[in-house]
Amino acid sequence: MGSLARAYGRPLASAIAGIAVIWVLVLILVPLGAMVEQSLWWRESKGDISLTIDRLYNDISLIELDREVETDPAKKTAFDQSLAEKQAAIATLEAQETNPPKSYGLANFTRMSGLHFYIFVRTIFYALLVTALALVVCYPVAYVVALASGPRKAIILMVALIVPYAINELLRVYAWLMILDYRGVINGVLQWMGFIDLDAREWIPFLENPSAVFLAMIYTYVLFMVFPMVNTLETLDRNQIEAARDLGASTFRIHRRVIIPHAKPGIAVGCIMTFMLSAGSYSVPAIMTRGQGGDWFSQLVYRQFYESNNWNMGSAYAVSLLVVCTAFILLMMRLFGVGLRDIAK
Amino acid sequence: MRGKDVRLDQVSIRFGDSTAVQPTNLAIQAGEFFSILGPSGCGKTTLLRTISGFIEPTAGRVLIGGEDMAGKGPNERPTALIFQNLALFPLMSVAENVAFGLEARGMRKAERLKRAQELLELVALGGYGDKKPADLSGGQRQRVAIARALAVEPAVLLLDEPLSALDLKLRQHMRSELRAIQKRVGITFIYITHDQGEALAMSDRVAVMSRGKLEQVADADTLYAEPATPFVATFVGEQNVLRGTVASLADTVATVDTPIGRIEGRVKGPIRLGEAALLMVRPERIVLGPGGTNTVTARLAARNLEGPSVHLHCAAAGQTLVVTVPNGPSVRDLPEELTLSFGIDDALVYPVGALAHG
Repeated sequence: MGSLARAYGRPLASAIAGIAVIWVLVLILVPLGAMVEQSLWWRESKGDISLTIDRLYNDISLIELDREVETDPAKKTAFDQSLAEKQAAIATLEAQETNPPKSYGLANFTRMSGLHFYIFVRTIFYALLVTALALVVCYPVAYVVALASGPRKAIILMVALIVPYAINELLRVYAWLMILDYRGVINGVLQWMGFIDLDAREWIPFLENPSAVFLAMIYTYVLFMVFPMVNTLETLDRNQIEAARDLGASTFRIHRRVIIPHAKPGIAVGCIMTFMLSAGSYSVPAIMTRGQGGDWFSQLVYRQFYESNNWNMGSAYAVSLLVVCTAFILLMMRLFGVGLRDIAK
Repeated sequence: MRGKDVRLDQVSIRFGDSTAVQPTNLAIQAGEFFSILGPSGCGKTTLLRTISGFIEPTAGRVLIGGEDMAGKGPNERPTALIFQNLALFPLMSVAENVAFGLEARGMRKAERLKRAQELLELVALGGYGDKKPADLSGGQRQRVAIARALAVEPAVLLLDEPLSALDLKLRQHMRSELRAIQKRVGITFIYITHDQGEALAMSDRVAVMSRGKLEQVADADTLYAEPATPFVATFVGEQNVLRGTVASLADTVATVDTPIGRIEGRVKGPIRLGEAALLMVRPERIVLGPGGTNTVTARLAARNLEGPSVHLHCAAAGQTLVVTVPNGPSVRDLPEELTLSFGIDDALVYPVGALAHG
């Protein structure tokens, strides 16, 4: 702050600092804090409260009947007293029913059902698989783009990466849906070639297999994997590749010992981005599976919010996903030996 | 390690329409320290990359140790290249760098690290194996690059201006170091440079190259004293260049009419009577006072002290002659008018057309 003030003057320095604080608050702390807070409490809405209230109302009606026919004033007073007690109890219970008390704790996290936990683990596994597949697909692409030069590079970049990404993500996912559907492009071609008969419902059910989601996801997130890798690969001194070749190294060894180590930060960033996006993707599994191919965890979070109307549980699910993803980032950084500084580059 | 000879047989290299190297014949002997000297863009790096196998010649053959290298990649040739920027692997330790070529040949780890250590000791970097290249100084990195190239036991070591990134003092030190290493390992060194000082100081022989063509191949002394073409004459060392016409011609001696008078000199090319000619005299071959065959009276215009020597800029008939004389008390107070002289052997006469570079 002191050096900022010296460099830009006091008003501009405070403006910069202010914007930074607002940025952190609005984009990170407030939404995250709200989500975490929401996940840490629940309302004690016991189902038997309504029953107890109903019973109390019944009791009151009975006592009122008894009181009507009672002639002994002493007993009548006792009935009155009992009635007042029951009505007070009803009042407190009804207050509880309309506005149940908040309880804080980790119950939202521990209450996850076995099935949901299974889906959670499977989603993480699928996201890892998508990341690994995307890496395998994207590394050669990034390598070619990064080492191409001049107008050729611009053409490859435009045709292979930029143009597809100018199209809306949903559109691209729906396009894959059309290709893979029961009466989609591939099955259509297979019918045309005489392998299957669609009218006899002999299609290949691509969409009922999780790999359909993988395919669409890899396609959707390729750019996030390719660009960081291209960025780091571009900074590689080509003489190093030639030097390695001159020293007798095979292409495989050049990649393993020279190029990949150099591209590590880019690979790490690409993996982190792809993993985060696929682990949290809602639209791709929702569109591609249409309920046929098994849910992804993001769909469960959605349902907790909008179908079960349990925002606390939904928040807990979302926070769990966030924690695991963050752990994944840290693990990747450790595994690749890259620090935040390398990634920022 | 054993050096091998390198022969270029009518090698020419074209990129599209432009010719990088004109048909060239060259024979470099085994164990020779051979330099290719030329200005940037003259095709010397292209030639080197052709020998190392990164470029296939458009025509002609490259032979190393008598074996035709056609179709062999850089990893299959008995050469090792040291890049201009060294191209050390920054993420590997110094020892891993040196051992990389051996690793590529499938040598076991312990064995190759031992060999790397030996090579590092050869270049006086024994204790630096665990460091990263970035932790070393420019000269040390230089020596790592040499050790890395020597590790694969090449018969021919190719060096692409490896000293150009170093500062002057270090460069001079590395010259003698390189020469010493070459003597020790005994393999063929082919050294590319645009710095005539490097080429003359280190090499057994030097090829001067210009516009894709070898102008002259000779040892340093011959190159300096008997340049075959005006390009070599002006590119290597300093020259006073005078234009004139050939007034008389006898055998090896020509008389040339120049603005500063009639000068006699040795004929170095096909010239004819009455034609334009270039006359070149080295600044240090001109002496103060009479004595030589050619005498010129000039006015002292400027005096530049260079330390051990002094450059005198003398004006005569609108021409400037630079004279280099040893520093001493006698050059402290020089008169305004100077008599300069030089012998017939000191003046070289070339045909004008041969001065290719403008």
